[in-house]
Amino acid sequence: MDETASPPGAARTLWALTSGQRGRYAAAVSAMAVGTVFLLLVPYVLKRALDALVSDEVDLTGTLLPAAGLIVLCYALHGFFTFLRGRWAAQASEGITRGLRHRLYEQLERLPCAYHDRAETGDLVQRCSSDVETVRVFLAAQVVEIARVSLFLIVAIPIMLSQDLTMSALSLALVPVIIFFALLFFRRVRTLFQQVDESEGSLTTVIQENLTGVRVVRAFARQDYEIEKFLERNGEFRDLEYRLFRVLSNYWTLSDLLVLSQLGIVLIGGGYFVMQGSISLGTWVLFWWLLRTIIWPVRHIGRVLADTGKATVAIGRIREILDKAPESIDETAGEPVRGDIAVENLSFAYGDGPAALDDLSITIAEGETVALLGPPGAGKSTLVNLLVRLYDYEQGSIRIGGREVRDLNRDAVRSAFGMVLQDPFLFSKTVRENVVIGRSTAADHEVEESARAADIHGNIVEFEEGYDTRVGERGVTLSGGQRQRVAIARALLMNPEFLVLDDSLSAVDTKTEAHILRSLAERRGRHTTILIAHRLSSTRLADRIFVMDHGRIVEQGTHDELLEAGGPYSRLWTIQGALEEDIERDLSRVTHT
Amino acid sequence: MSTDWFDDDQEQAVDLQLWKKLLRYTLHYRKTAILFCFVALGLACSDLSFPLLTGRLISDIERDPGGVDLWWYAWCYAGLTLSLCCCIWGFINCAGKIRTHVSHDIRRDAFENLQALSFSFYDKKPVGWLMARLTSDCNRLSNILAWGVMDMIWGSTLMTGVALVMVIYDWKLAFAVLAVVPVLFVISVFFRKRILRASRLVRKLNSRITGTYNEGIVGVRTTKVFVRQRQNLAEFDKLADEMYHHSVHNAVLSAIYLPLVLTVASIAIATALVVGGHQVLAGALTAGEVIMFMYYAELFFHPVQEISAWFAELQMAQASAERVLSLVEAVPEVRDTDAVVRRLEETGSDGHPDQIGRIEFDSVGFRYGTGPQIINDFQLSVEPGQTVALVGATGGGKSTLVNLLCRFYEPTDGRILIDGIDYTDRSLAWLQSNLGIVLQQPHLFSGTIGDNIRYGRLDATQEEIVAAAELAGAHGFIMELEDAYDTQVGEGGSQLSLGERQLVSFARAVLKQPRLLVMDEATSSIDTETERRIQQGLTRVLGGRTSFVIAHRLSTIRAADQIVVIEKGRIAEQGTHTDLLRERGHYYQLYTEQSMRDIVKIDSSFGET
Repeated sequence: MDETASPPGAARTLWALTSGQRGRYAAAVSAMAVGTVFLLLVPYVLKRALDALVSDEVDLTGTLLPAAGLIVLCYALHGFFTFLRGRWAAQASEGITRGLRHRLYEQLERLPCAYHDRAETGDLVQRCSSDVETVRVFLAAQVVEIARVSLFLIVAIPIMLSQDLTMSALSLALVPVIIFFALLFFRRVRTLFQQVDESEGSLTTVIQENLTGVRVVRAFARQDYEIEKFLERNGEFRDLEYRLFRVLSNYWTLSDLLVLSQLGIVLIGGGYFVMQGSISLGTWVLFWWLLRTIIWPVRHIGRVLADTGKATVAIGRIREILDKAPESIDETAGEPVRGDIAVENLSFAYGDGPAALDDLSITIAEGETVALLGPPGAGKSTLVNLLVRLYDYEQGSIRIGGREVRDLNRDAVRSAFGMVLQDPFLFSKTVRENVVIGRSTAADHEVEESARAADIHGNIVEFEEGYDTRVGERGVTLSGGQRQRVAIARALLMNPEFLVLDDSLSAVDTKTEAHILRSLAERRGRHTTILIAHRLSSTRLADRIFVMDHGRIVEQGTHDELLEAGGPYSRLWTIQGALEEDIERDLSRVTHT
Repeated sequence: MSTDWFDDDQEQAVDLQLWKKLLRYTLHYRKTAILFCFVALGLACSDLSFPLLTGRLISDIERDPGGVDLWWYAWCYAGLTLSLCCCIWGFINCAGKIRTHVSHDIRRDAFENLQALSFSFYDKKPVGWLMARLTSDCNRLSNILAWGVMDMIWGSTLMTGVALVMVIYDWKLAFAVLAVVPVLFVISVFFRKRILRASRLVRKLNSRITGTYNEGIVGVRTTKVFVRQRQNLAEFDKLADEMYHHSVHNAVLSAIYLPLVLTVASIAIATALVVGGHQVLAGALTAGEVIMFMYYAELFFHPVQEISAWFAELQMAQASAERVLSLVEAVPEVRDTDAVVRRLEETGSDGHPDQIGRIEFDSVGFRYGTGPQIINDFQLSVEPGQTVALVGATGGGKSTLVNLLCRFYEPTDGRILIDGIDYTDRSLAWLQSNLGIVLQQPHLFSGTIGDNIRYGRLDATQEEIVAAAELAGAHGFIMELEDAYDTQVGEGGSQLSLGERQLVSFARAVLKQPRLLVMDEATSSIDTETERRIQQGLTRVLGGRTSFVIAHRLSTIRAADQIVVIEKGRIAEQGTHTDLLRERGHYYQLYTEQSMRDIVKIDSSFGET
């Protein structure tokens, strides 16, 4: 475990988190204190009434009714203050949790792509959900419980001492044992709890994989194998959980034994002292009733204390996210970004990896349409990622409209680009909301217009709820091609200065591709357009073509120039030509026979 | 994040039939269940005895401070303590056993039935929905069957016992104390329901927050390039605010409920003091007995709280019970006919020769439920060893045909014949164990690449796995990975690219050596070069095997023995490549159109230069 997770560090972080809610916490503790006093007054009232009853100096209206009234009043006031405590404590702890959630979300959105490349989504989500929950439980339940028991003891002990010293000692004799027993026990069984959690997790995984892979299971007729695999996990989980119950039954039994013994000591011992005449019957009942009130929460506190360790670990894990440096915040004003793109001697590597871009230079004029070709790993996506400042470069320069991109406002740069990413992401919102994320003020007819241009309008209106259909498991599941087209529509809707399509037509069929390319051709000159492509069909649209390999430009020029040059590009065309000839041959053979 | 599937719980009248069915699960553990009842009764009796003993001790000392045998009381107390502890031990053990075993059994039955249910069932139920049934619903129901039933037995016994003892001692005082109980019960049920509802809502919101985090992380690049951070955060904050309000509301409900119960209970205690004290003055009771009454008054309220909580939960869990039972009891639409089942039982085979020859679609029609007709009067005959290419626009019914062939669905009209025998007259397991299917979106299971290939034939050796991978063209990329065949593929195969997943799923099918091969756009993400290698391998391994191929690649289609062009569920054209080109119809158009685009992938050509 690293330093961030150490208890003092965690405590400091926690303290910092409570800022703004400390007043409420203080109010909650005060209310709790007052409530506790009222609750623990009850045995005292009872003692007075009983002593009166036994000594026969009693009458109904003078002693019993007031005592009864006092008891109800004490409970009612205790109830009222408990209510206040509950409300304030909840507001404080939930308020802190809300703040923590907010900070985590904000931080995750602001962390650079380089961080997200390395982090595992599942792990991050876990930190944001279960670790935050652990902290929340700590703030809402554990802190309150510890405060409650402390107050119980703080109020009860003086009451006891004011009555009788020996009885006080008897009443508290086993209390430390009860607390320590629970504390030690739950420390010891922590691994068993973890095992049960893990076992449940792997059972869930087996079920989930079976259900998502149901087609494969059937295709291979592996139902029996799957059932066997499931039964193994299911049985394992059952046995582990059952073991946990058995271990817990030992705990509850022993701890109940301790608690009942403590009560028994007071009952029998008190009886002895009453027989001796050293305390009154009322005092005896007072001790017994008081102990009954405080002993059950006291028994619970050992477990609470044992669980607080979890919060320390959780806080440490959360801090690991919060302490990472986010993308720098730009001080410069965000003036619109436009103009020619000039890349000079740009080199870049992801982390410690090999060079993704190697001394690359390229210029793209305003309004020009260019195509980037090249094998996977040639650096095409890296180049556009650097253009929109998803990563920051250190060697070389990128200038847009003559200004260094590094010095431009990050958001202003990104707003100028309409990007269609290689693996487009759609939010689980409606189709319309997904299309308008780049320009939320767009009118309906504009949305439809860009959907038409991306050839997705037809599909959308066929959905039951049209543009208001939700995307994702609770709504429609879009195919890869449909997702790409929605992503194209949203980039087009932005009417951006720069339009980037990163291999965005890979999953659409021929007709659709032709349609989209036509739409793009119509818009030629309206945006500076960068097409990253794997197929030659897209390159016909480009004014100039750049062929990349190993982070460099290996060839550039117009289609005709490159054909003439006889490099890689012309070889690709030869292969295509050969194929077309092939087809021609097929056709002619058919017609001539 | 599929465990985040919640259904709105409507409060419903308790349907006893439903719970009787579920209670059968408990009765599998008859011995434990019987023991369980005794333990619950014993626990109630022990609980009941403490006030009695305490009251008597106080009365005795009050009456005669000198002559009480304290040791006798100490032993009694110790005895009671021991019996109570034993009962608690037994209580938790029995409830734990029933809780874990019943949950295990319900889950097992549901899972096993899911393995038999047809795809038509899966079409209607998202994975997340099913997951929630098998996880949270199972736990919830078994909790009710164990702890709920137990608490009810214990609680009702204790309450009856307390009431009886009080009436025996002093019926007037008893009624004065018991008057509070109905009030308490009404308050409890009122609050418990609301608390339960509120906490469900909080859980639901919690899972939405988790989903939003997940989306925020997975979609972080999109968020950044569209400069959406602020809006996303604002949307998230709205959710977090909602969570705050509902959580506080939930806590406030509890903060009203518990003190209120305690205050109402204190009225009973106070009544016991006043009425009991009055009786003491009249000489009818001792002070010790008044204490006992107060003790009882307090003791009463714990079971009232528990029982009302379970009562509320029972009403809320009604929907869970229905959903889980619907899973356990659903009948698969596609299953062996009774005649086949009988033959399988009697002879161990379905009574037909173990071979796949000629396959015929005899005027096959299909529709989902009452939906539109997807396949219409489909007529096709395939000779053994032939390759059939199914061609046509998306949504034309190609995948449906393949699903019918694999008997994932059955034709709603017409028949499919294998060697002249209607395939519904054969065993489902027989047909499907002869199938090899490679899908466009291949699903891999988490585990190693080797494990995934082995799925094709569980007893295959490492050599056979490698050989299959070689034939499938997967060996090359696998050996480039650090752990080769021991590389973990991640959940759903997420650590591999789509093309790599297709290759692994190919190897898996090759290893199975199926008699009937079905490929549904299985090579869409594989470059031409690899595809050619795969086909050479397949021809060698699967030579002479009948195969159905859905593909866009010309090279694949061209080589087929039969090409079937499907449009709107009907055969538009049918014949060989040359036949169809000559006709200059749909296929010709499709072919010329595609050839313009379906050219060599740039990436693979680079490799060659």
